[in-house]
Amino acid sequence: MSSESQTFTEKYDLLGCIQCGRCTGGCPVTVRADLNVRQFVNNAYDEDKLEELSRLAEIWDCTACHTCAVRCPKGLKPLEVLIGLRTIIVESGKVEPTVRDALQSVLLEGNPWEKSRAMRTDWMEGLDVKIAEPGEPVENLFFVCCTIAYDPRVQAVARNIVRLLNKAGVDFAFLPEEESCCGSEVFTIGEEGLFEMLVEDNTEYLNEFKAERIVTLSPHCFTTYKTHYPDLKNPVIHYTQLLDELLEEGKLVWKGELQKKIVFHDPCYLGKQGGIYDEPRRLLKNIPGVELLEFDRSRERSLCCEGGGGKMWVESTSTKERLADVRIRDAKELDADIVAAACPFCVLTLEDAMKNLGYEEEMRVAEIMELLGEFVEA
Amino acid sequence: MKTIVCIKYVPDTSEAEVKVNPDGKTVDNSRFSYDINDADNYAVEESVLIKEDKGGEVDVVSIGPKKSDVMIRMALAKGCDRAKRIEDERIADHDPLMVAKVLAGAIKSEEFDLIMTGCMANDDGHMSTGVALAEEVGVNHASMVKKVEVLDGKVKAHRELEGGLMEVVELELPAVLTIQTGINEPRYAPIRGIRQAQKKELSVAGLDDLSIDPAEVGAEASQVVLENLYIPEVESAAEFIEGEPEEKAEKLASILVKGGLV
Ligand code: SF4
Ligand code: SF4
Repeated sequence: MSSESQTFTEKYDLLGCIQCGRCTGGCPVTVRADLNVRQFVNNAYDEDKLEELSRLAEIWDCTACHTCAVRCPKGLKPLEVLIGLRTIIVESGKVEPTVRDALQSVLLEGNPWEKSRAMRTDWMEGLDVKIAEPGEPVENLFFVCCTIAYDPRVQAVARNIVRLLNKAGVDFAFLPEEESCCGSEVFTIGEEGLFEMLVEDNTEYLNEFKAERIVTLSPHCFTTYKTHYPDLKNPVIHYTQLLDELLEEGKLVWKGELQKKIVFHDPCYLGKQGGIYDEPRRLLKNIPGVELLEFDRSRERSLCCEGGGGKMWVESTSTKERLADVRIRDAKELDADIVAAACPFCVLTLEDAMKNLGYEEEMRVAEIMELLGEFVEA
Repeated sequence: MKTIVCIKYVPDTSEAEVKVNPDGKTVDNSRFSYDINDADNYAVEESVLIKEDKGGEVDVVSIGPKKSDVMIRMALAKGCDRAKRIEDERIADHDPLMVAKVLAGAIKSEEFDLIMTGCMANDDGHMSTGVALAEEVGVNHASMVKKVEVLDGKVKAHRELEGGLMEVVELELPAVLTIQTGINEPRYAPIRGIRQAQKKELSVAGLDDLSIDPAEVGAEASQVVLENLYIPEVESAAEFIEGEPEEKAEKLASILVKGGLV
């Protein structure tokens, strides 16, 4: 974690940049916004200019897709320069009301959706779920994610996992309502102090549980725990990894057939940041009847849906076509029936784009767990 | 400028279902989230804006439980200077007059130019505490204020009336203003700011500490008796019109004509 005395240049290793421009060259947002991340890496070297840079609206266009970090030959994380500039604004208190309310909700209720903590486990109603208890051994400890816990559109991800694992006889438990936001979006919005607090509190909280591993449902929680929680005792995996194991062990019993063409959209936080590309594909390919298609821009080159980087709370000023719309049009060109994703944000943004383009009748956006819920015995 | 801003910690009843407890007089609050009352948040921002513009100090006063300290710390992080939280079970807090008496008792020893508070509380919606407070401390007031201009020894308050009408009144200071939402854009209190604000004074007092006679602000002093809380029956008046589009349009038109609506 950063120390207060570091300069901006030291903190983001700005002197390591050779101004090759690969970051901006790969940045998906450049087609619709004025963002030139290379220029920010260059200009942020001048400490006197930081205030001025932080006031540029385009710093809020970054979706934290990490393409720039993946491409930088010097191993820098150009996007974090933008996040550092956002921090200046956040600490002045003058953020968009939507951002303000999301951050405040994380502090007060442990989730960015302004929902009460007491309602965090409501999605479990009617299900047979074991609640984890500190000190009690459990193989798979599930961390549900704020969005999946509260948003009815994606709650099925958690509900289907429970049914499926119960049937497969897997030892698992979910955290009680004390579970708090992993801070993925808090980090990218630039609320450094709150993020540090979450890392500290969540590490302490999660380390009380005797789990063999923590299983996350959202790739955002997955990557955040893996990259920003150095003192977490347990390994962290994404649910597609656990289900892939079950698939291998023959523990997923298929029912029915899905005679559909599915294209998998690699979520930035699962692929580019988490390095997981094959597990979700194997799961989808194994659903009887499925023909799995590939986007031209897939895997490391996957096009961002613009759901990350705090963008759920910041409207882009651009009026140009949204990347999610581009993605859905690409899927349409492939003649895909279903666009599958393994991330709640991707599902929400892609589905929105699908409706926006009027493809509701002929196309479906689904989380992998929604499909498995329909085609695995549970 | 010395401003006192009075804030309240309230439940958010927009998400969780509201249930009345078996006593019929309280609400089950176990599933609500709590935060600063909406309009009070704007009052805090306005007080800080005035301080930033004119200099001076802002004191926070609130009646509430220990867990509301986080709300008070946020106000301090935003720029208020010190805070007093009053906690005492004997206060008849369902009655705005009793609340106003307690607030007045807590600030009676203070010199001030302005008192600001939200024009309405999200939970009980009385819209009277601020006005009653003005009466208790014996100063002028303006309610539903949507714009404030601080002048020399005076304040110009733009009041929001029905139908989008604005009324401008000039008041001699000291005065009480009840602030309407939308007067400004409340800022965010970053965690580092909240941490720094830990150094600011937050004192806690009961009625005895404030030399307020419990008999004057308790249930026996109040003229308001809380009789009952209930959730009104949902009256279903929705009618679904079935049929082909043309048929539907015809039926709808006939309903509207019969009802004298067209
Ligand atoms: S890719 Fe890396 S080295 Fe190249 S300009 Fe961007 S930050 Fe600098
Ligand atoms: S993270 Fe993605 S959107 Fe942000 S600057 Fe890098 S490439 Fe562009």
